[in-house]
Amino acid sequence: MNKYGTQDYYNYMNNNYNQPLYNQQNFNNANANSSDLFDAYTGFISGNMFPDLYNAYKISNPLEIEPMNEQAELLTYIDALCFADIDLGLYLDLYPNDKNVISLYNKFREQKKQYEQEYESKFGPLFLSSDALNSYPWAWDNSPWPWQSK
Amino acid sequence: MWLYEKKLEYPVNIRKKDLKMAKYLMAQYGGPDGELAASLRYLNQRYSMPDDKGRALLTDIGTEELAHIEIIAAMISQLTNGASIEELEKAGLGAHFVQHDHGLFPTDAASVPFTATYIETTGDYIADIESDMAAEQRARATYEHLMDLTNDKDLLGPLSFLRQREVVHYQRFKELRNYYLENKI
Repeated sequence: MNKYGTQDYYNYMNNNYNQPLYNQQNFNNANANSSDLFDAYTGFISGNMFPDLYNAYKISNPLEIEPMNEQAELLTYIDALCFADIDLGLYLDLYPNDKNVISLYNKFREQKKQYEQEYESKFGPLFLSSDALNSYPWAWDNSPWPWQSK
Repeated sequence: MWLYEKKLEYPVNIRKKDLKMAKYLMAQYGGPDGELAASLRYLNQRYSMPDDKGRALLTDIGTEELAHIEIIAAMISQLTNGASIEELEKAGLGAHFVQHDHGLFPTDAASVPFTATYIETTGDYIADIESDMAAEQRARATYEHLMDLTNDKDLLGPLSFLRQREVVHYQRFKELRNYYLENKI
């Protein structure tokens, strides 16, 4: 334990990183079991879909997202599903034969598409390829831009 | 090519102005182990990866790092929004104001401008990946130092997220390196 009462990274490295790699275990045998992974929201606030790789610092539990309005709330679903696929995607780049994770990737992708459609119909386009751009006046300019405080 | 998605990878909504933290965060904007350096490093190194696993991983981590530049920039921008010249001077940002006003400019925390040497491409993929592993560790340590300097949850949320991404990226680079070594690629 360090001064913050959280697991110290170097202990973590010594205890966990010398173990066979999480991914090597399933690389040779079965594929990663998707029930071993965080759900999309928990993974998102943790910054990591893989509980075995998760390592805390200073804050013992990941901080919850506190959306300040309906737009931010709907975006949180998209953020979580988008994140889950970013993280699973990096894993799949190295383990392209993992059927379970491919199927999970596609489940998140389908769910994300639905939330994106709902979001875009209410709050405007997320992409320059969005159907929500078939509108007048040009909808891409509308605030808030991602870096602006809500 | 790249497509813009009109959202951050992790939301940034900072309620309290904190110019000192804005200055410190520059370390991860234009510093040697910052997000700009990381994205350009991986996106340059990918051309010398020996197989599709490496080409895919460096493209995707490099792309994610572009999203991290945007998170850090959003934090700095929100932290400095509406700051007076006196407030900037007091936080050590007087020289920044002289040259850049309230604009963002990629330097490190000590105002040293970004330089292309941070990109660290050798063309030797084992050397490059091992340098990437070290870079992820250095960035993780820097995020810990930044987290040590604040108790504002609006800052700790994104900093903790970004730190954890360094842990994951380190792991994936290590797996790629081991895969190449074990399979004599």
